[in-house]
Amino acid sequence: MSGVPLAAYLALGLFMFMTGVVGVVIRRSPIVIFMCIELMLNAVNLTFLAFARYQFSPMVAGNSFREGQSAMAGQMMVIFVMAVAAAEVAVGLGIIMAIFRLRENIDIDEMNLLKG
Amino acid sequence: MDNNAVWLIILLPILGFLIQGLAGPSLQRKIGKKALGVLAVLPIAASFVLGLMLTQGLASQEHAEAVIVSGGSWINIMGLNIPFEWVVDPLSMTMVLIITGVGALIHLYSTAYMAEEKDFSRFFAYLNLFVAAMLVLVLGNNLPLLFIGWEGVGLCSYLLIGFWYTDTANTKAANKAFIVNRVGDWSLMLGLFLIVVVISGANIPVEDNRYLSYDAMLPALTTALKANPAMATAIALLLFGGAAGKSAQFPLYVWLPDAMAGPTPVSALIHAATMVTSGVVLLNRMNIVFQLSPTASAVVCAVGAFTALFAAIIAFGQTDIKKVLAYSTVSQLGFMFIACGAGAYWAGMFHVTTHAFFKALLFLGAGAVIHAMSHEQDMRHYGKLAKYLPITFGTMMVGTLAIAGVPGLSGFYSKEAILGSAIANSHAGQLSAISGWVGLGVAALTAMYMGRLAMLTFFGKEERWRKLPVAEHHDHEEGHDDDHGHGHALTGDHKPKEVPVSMWLPLVVLAVLSAGAGLILNEGKRFEHWLYPSGLSQLGELKHEVPNLEIYSYIAAGLGLLAGVLVYIGGLPAKEGLDETKWARWRSAAANQFGFDALMTNLFAEGGRDVAIGTSSFLEDQVIDGAVEGSASGTRNFGGWLQQIQTGAVRLYAMLMLLGGVGFVGYFLFIVNRGGK
Repeated sequence: MSGVPLAAYLALGLFMFMTGVVGVVIRRSPIVIFMCIELMLNAVNLTFLAFARYQFSPMVAGNSFREGQSAMAGQMMVIFVMAVAAAEVAVGLGIIMAIFRLRENIDIDEMNLLKG
Repeated sequence: MDNNAVWLIILLPILGFLIQGLAGPSLQRKIGKKALGVLAVLPIAASFVLGLMLTQGLASQEHAEAVIVSGGSWINIMGLNIPFEWVVDPLSMTMVLIITGVGALIHLYSTAYMAEEKDFSRFFAYLNLFVAAMLVLVLGNNLPLLFIGWEGVGLCSYLLIGFWYTDTANTKAANKAFIVNRVGDWSLMLGLFLIVVVISGANIPVEDNRYLSYDAMLPALTTALKANPAMATAIALLLFGGAAGKSAQFPLYVWLPDAMAGPTPVSALIHAATMVTSGVVLLNRMNIVFQLSPTASAVVCAVGAFTALFAAIIAFGQTDIKKVLAYSTVSQLGFMFIACGAGAYWAGMFHVTTHAFFKALLFLGAGAVIHAMSHEQDMRHYGKLAKYLPITFGTMMVGTLAIAGVPGLSGFYSKEAILGSAIANSHAGQLSAISGWVGLGVAALTAMYMGRLAMLTFFGKEERWRKLPVAEHHDHEEGHDDDHGHGHALTGDHKPKEVPVSMWLPLVVLAVLSAGAGLILNEGKRFEHWLYPSGLSQLGELKHEVPNLEIYSYIAAGLGLLAGVLVYIGGLPAKEGLDETKWARWRSAAANQFGFDALMTNLFAEGGRDVAIGTSSFLEDQVIDGAVEGSASGTRNFGGWLQQIQTGAVRLYAMLMLLGGVGFVGYFLFIVNRGGK
């Protein structure tokens, strides 16, 4: 296995995830927040793929999983995440459109109807 | 005579009660009041005759043996069997004769006294039930049966004192009697429970498990208590507490004077034949407990002596003729308890007997006077009544002299027996001798206040009611409406008339008994040997004779009467007149029972209410409501505090979710790593 080491993938994944987290917490626009969530999901996907590629999974160690199965499991997870993210975006954008039609404003700090 | 007749003795008054109670009003319409009155008197009189026959059978034996008439099971649980059974022995038969004999006379008297009463049959229903309850009390062969009778007389006294229930004062007096009696009953019940505890702990086998029947209980109790004198004192004091409630001893006497609110025959019945004597009967029945406890006996003696003195002094402050007699009863009951405390139980019963005669006589006489004087009870409006009421006057004088202790009349012998045994016996230590001498002083006071009563009522210089305003037109029916309260229907032009024969006949019979009974019963210590055929065990050191006691008694009675006559010979003294502000201070104090009644009212009635209000405002309003409302507001506050987290700010939620997730995962990583090591 030559080229890029596992640590580099993980470092990039961590960077992307933290960027997403900070974005979700500090930005007020729901569109940007969505993008940040996508960033986080993709960071997770990257990590999944990296681990699948490097066969590094505590689940597999000493288990009956064969190598191919382990790689398949990681990649399958990524497909799932992408599918759920697509669905989530579809629903989320729909909600944002509805709120915009109602209020003509989509500042996330003003959406506090659930305040106790 | 078959001893099963004892069932009839009890059932006849109950039958009378049922007839009067259930069929009374319709019978009254059909056969009239006279016949109904006869129906009320008959069962009691028949019981008396039966009692007389049973007594004769008992007295014909050399040593009168207690006969137990058994009548089936009543309570049978866990190896304790309490049957319905009656005891025929000298003590119970003496009481039966007093209750039914004096009771029948009082019933006869009532038929005339209550003749114009609307609720005629209700009155006689209560009266018959009263007699029945008292008979159960004295005839029952175990303490639970005694307790039934005990509560029965309590109930009947309540019903009769509050007979004229439309007047609030009467119902209050009835409540007071009932509630004060409950205090004594409470004490009696504790005594009964302690006896059960002692007997069941003693492990003495008894045939048929009749542990509470006197014949089985008393020997077992003696054995058990000899080993445990402190328990004997506890039981004795509790029993005495019960006796003090029923027999109106200090401090539970307060109900008796108020019980005067009832019709006068009721007062006579309560004071002479029933109710107040039950305490003395209880002490006689349970005398072994008191014999085993000199301490309790000393308490009985001291309370008796104090009550006798206290009540005698209060009698001087009373102007109501019935109240004077009421306090005289309290005082005489004190004498009986002096005797019981000193260990001369028979002397107590002797005084019960003679007192029943002369006190019934005095009350019925007072009732006759009240009847003749348009229901005016204030002696200050009487005077010179001897002229108008010769029979009442003559019989009442016999009663007065008898209670004053004039030699030859019954009161003299019983008082002499009490004082002699109190001074001579050392059972209760020095206290009994002191009580005896106090009793001698009280005897003088008794003679004096009875002299006062007689002089104010029957003698004097003027007919004092003449000073009252004259009514325009005195309607007779109206006069009896006032019966219900203490209305002053007496008017200046009133002409007292002698009472009808059914009223004076009982007076004459009772006068004969008051005069003769003492002499006959005292002859050769007849009464003592009759009551305790085998004699009581020797109590302490007994000096057999008190030197010159007779002479002291003569002097006490003579001086008392003389003082009473001399002070009141000129009629009503100005400083005892209608203007009570002119009274001497001690007399006004005595009239108010030296503030004792007010103190008790303040302390227990008002105090009890204050405690109740305090409990309500503290326990209810603060503790309970506080807990309920506190839990509500606590939840609300906690919710309000939690509410602050619920900001609705999406980004904050995201932040918290992040921190939570990191914390959660971090925690599990920490656990897993530590476990791995």
